[in-house]
Amino acid sequence: MHAVAAEEFLYHEAELLDDGRFREWLDLLTDDVRYRVPVRVTRERGESGVSAEMFHLDEDRDSLALRVDRLETGFAWAEDPPSRVRHFVTNVRPRPQGDELAVRSNLLVYRARWDRGEHDLLSGERHDVLRPGPDGLRLAARTVVLEATTLPTLNLAIFL
Amino acid sequence: MTTALLDAAAAGLERGELPAGIFNDRELFELEHERIFARSWVYLAHESEIPAPGDYVVRRIVDDPFVVTRDEHGEVRALLNHCRHKGMQICRAEAGNASHFRCPYHGWTYRNDGALIGVPVQKAAYGDALDKSELGLHAIRVDSHDGLLFGTLSPDAPPLAEWLGDVRWYLDLWTKRSPAGLEVVGPPQRWVVDADWKIVGENFTGDSYHTLMTHRSMVELGQAPSDPKYAMYGEQVHIPGRGHGMMLIGAPPDAALPPFWGYPDEMRERARASYPSEEQFRVADRTRIMLGTVFPNFSAHNPIRRPHHRYEGYVPMLTFRVWNPLGPGRIEVLSWFLVERDAPEEFKQLSAWSYLRSFGVSGTFEQDDTEIWTLITRGAGTLLGRAQALNYSMGTELEVDEAWPGPGVAQAATFSDASLRNFYARWLELMCTP
Repeated sequence: MHAVAAEEFLYHEAELLDDGRFREWLDLLTDDVRYRVPVRVTRERGESGVSAEMFHLDEDRDSLALRVDRLETGFAWAEDPPSRVRHFVTNVRPRPQGDELAVRSNLLVYRARWDRGEHDLLSGERHDVLRPGPDGLRLAARTVVLEATTLPTLNLAIFL
Repeated sequence: MTTALLDAAAAGLERGELPAGIFNDRELFELEHERIFARSWVYLAHESEIPAPGDYVVRRIVDDPFVVTRDEHGEVRALLNHCRHKGMQICRAEAGNASHFRCPYHGWTYRNDGALIGVPVQKAAYGDALDKSELGLHAIRVDSHDGLLFGTLSPDAPPLAEWLGDVRWYLDLWTKRSPAGLEVVGPPQRWVVDADWKIVGENFTGDSYHTLMTHRSMVELGQAPSDPKYAMYGEQVHIPGRGHGMMLIGAPPDAALPPFWGYPDEMRERARASYPSEEQFRVADRTRIMLGTVFPNFSAHNPIRRPHHRYEGYVPMLTFRVWNPLGPGRIEVLSWFLVERDAPEEFKQLSAWSYLRSFGVSGTFEQDDTEIWTLITRGAGTLLGRAQALNYSMGTELEVDEAWPGPGVAQAATFSDASLRNFYARWLELMCTP
C-alpha cells in the first residue's frame, strides 16, 4: 500500500517536472520543505564522500518559488528555450516513519538542450520524506545524492 | 591558424577588436597550455582546505594533477600525482588525510612531503642500485598569499608577490576583512562547461555591462536594482602589465543599500581595524559588489545579495573560482564558498544561502552566464564565426580616475572594456613570447 502511494506521488511529480508545470509542482511541496543536493567528493572507502557542509542546491519553499518565478519572467535564458528533460524514477522503497513516509528511489535525469546531438545524464538517489495532508501526500524533504563529483551539465537550471 | 589568430588579435586589440577564433581553437589552446598555464601562478587551494598535518586535496593545472599536502611540520607542497616508478597515480581520492601515499601498482610509498620512503623488496629487486633520495615525487613551486595557495609549473616564474603585484591591495579587501581570515566551507562545487576560460575570466574582470541583459530575470524579480545603469556606478581597475582586473561597484544614487556590502556592523568594525590602510576601508565601505580576475584563471565575486526574495535586508557572500581548461572551449569550474572565520554563525548560514541561490552551478544569476558563454564558444569554432571580430572598444574615451586612492589604472565607471583589453594584452604578451 505504501509502495503504491509513494510511486503514484513520485510518478505524478515527475510528470509535472517533465511537462514544465512548475506552479503545480510547487503545490506538491510542504511549506517547510527542505530540498538539498550535496556536493560529492571521491574519498577512500570507509569515508563519506557526501558533503554535509556544501551543496549544489540547498533550498526552501521561498527559494524554490523564486526559481519558478524566474522561469516565468521571459528572461531566464538558461531554460528559455527550455531543455527537454525526462525524470526516470525507479526502485521506490518507502518506509513508514510516524505519519510520514521516508522514501528512497533511484533517479536518472536526461537533459537535451539546443540542437546538439548530445545529452546530459544525471544519476542519483533521492531520499524523500512524504507527508500526508488533506489533499494527499506532499514532499516535506528531499536530498538527492548524485553519483557525479564533477557535474556533466552546464548548470542546474532544472529540478532533480 | 594560431599565428593568424595572434596576428589578428595583436592588430585589433588597441582599437578594441579580437577575433572570435581565439576562444575555440585546438592549436591555439595547446600554445596557451605551454605559454600561459606552464608559466603562470595558478590558484590551487585555500589553506583552510588543508588545515591539519596530513590533509590533502587534489587539484589540477590544466591536465596535470597535484596532491596539495600539508606535511607533519605544517609545510604545504604540490606533488605531481605520478609515481616515479611507472607513472601510476599515487593518490586516487580527491581529498582526505594521509601520512603517506602508496602506489597501488608495485607499492612504492611516499611520505606526504613527497619523499620516497618505501620500495617493496628493494634489496632483492634492485640491490644497491636505487637511491630513494633521488626519487621523491615531482614537486612544483607553491607559495601562499594570505592563505591563497598558488602553484606554478615554471622554475622561472617571478615570485608570487611580484606576479600578483598591485592586485594584492584589492585582494586585501577580502583576505584582511577580518584578522581571523577566511575559511572555505566544504568542498568546491565542480562542473564542466563547454566554454573558453578567457570568456569567463574577462567577464569577472570587468564586464558589468552584461548584468542588465544577462541577469534581467533577477531585475524583474527585484533581486537587482531596476536602474539599467546600476552596475556602472563604481570603479573599474586594472593592473597594467599583469593582466589582473577588479570591479568595485557601489550603488545607484537613489538606492538605499547599506554600506560595506551589507555585512553585519561587527564585521564592518573589525575590518576598520584589520585593513592595512584607511583608504582600503573607505573604498570597501562604499562597495556593494566586488569581483575580479587574477590572471590567468582565478576569479572571485563578493556581491550584496539576499538569501531569498522575501528576505528583509541583505546578506553578502564571497565565492572563489578557478576556470581550469580541459581543452579548447572547455573548462571545469571549481566554485568555493568562503566566509570570515569569526563571522556570526547565523550570518555564515545566510551567506551560504545567498551564494548557493545566486551563483555556482545552480545559481539563478550564473545559470544564464553559462548558457551564454557556451554558445559564444560554440560560435567561435565555426568557419565564419572564428574570423568575426568581437568588440572590446567600450571605455576607450573614459578618462583615468586620478583621484582613486588604490593602485592600478582606475576608471570611475565600470562600463568599460579597459580591464578586458589589459587581460588580453597580458595574454598576447605571453602567447607571443617563445
